[in-house]
Amino acid sequence: MIAAQVELWEGVQGTLHGLISLCDTAIILYFLAINTGHLVLNLLALTEIVTRLRRASFAGYEDAVEGPFTPPISVIMPAYNEAAGITEAVRAMLLLHYPAFEIIVVDDGSTDGTLDALTEAFNLAEVDHVVPEDVPMRGKVTSLHLPRGGPVPVVVARKDNGGKADALNVGINLARYPLVCMVDADSLLDSQALLTVAKPFSGDPLRVVATGGVVGVANGCTVEAGRVVEARVPTDVLGRVQVVEYLRGFFLGRTGWSRVGGLLIIAGAFGLFRRDAVVAVGGMDPDCIGEDAELVVRLHRHLREQGRRHRDYRIVFVTEPISWSEAPSTFRVLARQRRRWQRGLTEILLKHRRMIGNPRYGRIGLVALPFYVVFELAAPLVELAGLVLVPLGVLLGAVHTDFLWRFMLAAYAYAMVVSLVSMAVEEYAYHRFSRWRDVWGAFVGVAVENLGYRQCTAWWRLRGMWDAFHRTPQVWGAMTRSGFGPQGARDGEDQL
Amino acid sequence: MIPLNFVTQVLLCLLAVVFVLSLLITGIRGVRTFRQSRRRRIAAPVRSLLLELLCTQEHEQSELLDHITRIDKQTWDALEPTVAAMLGKVSGKSREALVLLYERRGSPAHAVADLRSRNAARRGRAAQVLGLLHHRSAVPSLCRLLDDPDREVRSAAARALGRIGDSVAVPHLLRSLHGARTVAPMAVTAALASFGPAAWSGVAAGLRDPAPLVRAVAIEVLGVTGAIAHTLEIVRALREDPDTEVQIRAARALGRLGMPDGLKPLLAAVRPGQPVALRIVAAGALGSLGAATATPPLREMLDDADPHVAGTAARALLRLGPAGQAALRDAADERLGVRATAQARAALAEAAAGGLRHDVVVEVTL
Repeated sequence: MIAAQVELWEGVQGTLHGLISLCDTAIILYFLAINTGHLVLNLLALTEIVTRLRRASFAGYEDAVEGPFTPPISVIMPAYNEAAGITEAVRAMLLLHYPAFEIIVVDDGSTDGTLDALTEAFNLAEVDHVVPEDVPMRGKVTSLHLPRGGPVPVVVARKDNGGKADALNVGINLARYPLVCMVDADSLLDSQALLTVAKPFSGDPLRVVATGGVVGVANGCTVEAGRVVEARVPTDVLGRVQVVEYLRGFFLGRTGWSRVGGLLIIAGAFGLFRRDAVVAVGGMDPDCIGEDAELVVRLHRHLREQGRRHRDYRIVFVTEPISWSEAPSTFRVLARQRRRWQRGLTEILLKHRRMIGNPRYGRIGLVALPFYVVFELAAPLVELAGLVLVPLGVLLGAVHTDFLWRFMLAAYAYAMVVSLVSMAVEEYAYHRFSRWRDVWGAFVGVAVENLGYRQCTAWWRLRGMWDAFHRTPQVWGAMTRSGFGPQGARDGEDQL
Repeated sequence: MIPLNFVTQVLLCLLAVVFVLSLLITGIRGVRTFRQSRRRRIAAPVRSLLLELLCTQEHEQSELLDHITRIDKQTWDALEPTVAAMLGKVSGKSREALVLLYERRGSPAHAVADLRSRNAARRGRAAQVLGLLHHRSAVPSLCRLLDDPDREVRSAAARALGRIGDSVAVPHLLRSLHGARTVAPMAVTAALASFGPAAWSGVAAGLRDPAPLVRAVAIEVLGVTGAIAHTLEIVRALREDPDTEVQIRAARALGRLGMPDGLKPLLAAVRPGQPVALRIVAAGALGSLGAATATPPLREMLDDADPHVAGTAARALLRLGPAGQAALRDAADERLGVRATAQARAALAEAAAGGLRHDVVVEVTL
């Protein structure tokens, strides 16, 4: 009897041993694949950046500033409880170098006097209004305001609270120009931002549908009159890690995807779209938390379903540094942000699951979306599984300690290689950070990213997935912003 | 299971790569910092001479030019980006001095030679320089460059031709809108528009082109440059062209030209049944024409089911003077439908605030 039990136990142990060994190998291969994927994207981005840099001196930006044929842009700025910084943001936008643009601020039912601040700053008058319903709106537009007597191209709409996507839809309906630029109220744009992001539309107007711009981390930067005048790597470790992460994922990753026609995400902080294309797909989806990326996926879907192939349309990522946003400076806010991002991604992939692996959608369906499923959606699951299964494997003897520490170091070094390649490309191409101190700061970020930070984000992302699958109510919560101006810290909502 | 030895070797390789990349990053920065400071140091003494050259009187320029012309290649390489930047910003005698400086350095000849370079970036830069120098003898080579395999180079060539302003290039520019290697329509439009009246007949030839894009660009250019002699041809395009985009451009051009001949076709273009985008642009053009006779049809349009059409009509009425404004006030007093009342009130309120949004171009394609 005892002998049979021992035999059974040994059998179970053997099976468990084999299973864990298999899982560990799978995790190792996954880790290799994910970093290789990012490395390939970085290298693709490098080719794109080299091409653009070599042509920068004759790109014709000066002609675009002066030309009457440069397409006019409606800049849509949704705002919710942004009283502290909204006037500075609008003033900074008005100083952008671009021949023809208007700014549409959509006050999404703020309770902190956002509209009052704008009224005072721009001498606004309430006017009767008609808002076309080209795309559906949920919150009612209660008033429309224009500057008195002046040629200031600002329009302020006040509406009932309905969320960022709904506010953007109101802006799209009010926009009178063929291109709409969506920016966050706390985005800091470089003076050439509109010229840079609109360039692909001027160069290839028949095919370009949308363009996105690089969003950098504004923490630690010197900001004057709503402009980043000196880019710096933040002094805190959390900020440094995010700078590296933004470089790798948002700057080079998206450039790489753009190079192969697989760009799925244009950040809500700064993106430019053909208005007619956005209207054709029904505007922003107010039910999706990641409405910016969802719009891009829906544009791909719509265009492909219309029979347009990869070479018939372009969604482009512009590599020049143009927009800056404040990144979370505390773990609490970072956790909320990452949870929200992952929830958004999950919702998008669920909503458009029919496209995944579907040859009808070309490289979007066959490459880009499967990549996001395997290396973005599943990543937190696999990473956390690795954290549990690898030590378990050691305990059960399925993984040797010698192997484990060497592998861990190799994995750590590989991840560092990917981040360092991103840094090297940035240093070669745009070298935004002027001081040596910034380079050392970024090195610290590269070294620290895999020591706890990545694991924490994996956990938060997992919770985001849980939220999406269980359709928990969308809770945005308050985000404390440090701010850039002399007014110091200000509070706002990270809803927008 | 992966062999331990293999993992060790991979680890060592990766650590080596980490080390190399770290060196590369610091190396890139170090080399760039060194080059920049060296360039600054070399260019500093001549930069002041350059500024002097721009500010001095014509008779004193010669000596300065001689001095700057004689500088060695290294110094010229350090100074040249500043000269190029200034060339695009100054005019008159200062510009002439810079062009002379370039010519004495032999830059135009080098640039013309570079137009045949295998390197796309070099060809593009050469085109840019030749355009800035208004180097007329480069026009044939630049026209050939309109068929370059690189899209950015083609656009640079079009811009350069626009700057040089030789109307010989007109047919080449119009032809560059055909085929697989098209030049960006906006670059062609801007180049053609910069030629002014000298190019009108050549541009008008594009109105008979089988490609709608060429016809659209030709009409746009004629409208922007005020080619009133070609009004009737544009009227014909609005009436008869089978392509809506061409009709839209024709409507806009007629508004810009402001000739009475445009009134009737524009009134026909705003009628229900026409494409919405055309109706919007035509309504705006009627406002630009300012003819009071357009008041009744525009007044009718205030109640149009499409809010963009109605909104443009309301703003156009405001530009028609007392008759149009009276019609709007009538509509605001609820004498027309609900939609018309709302549109009229919105336009009047905007006008009262002084922030009239009259240039509604929402439905105009790029």
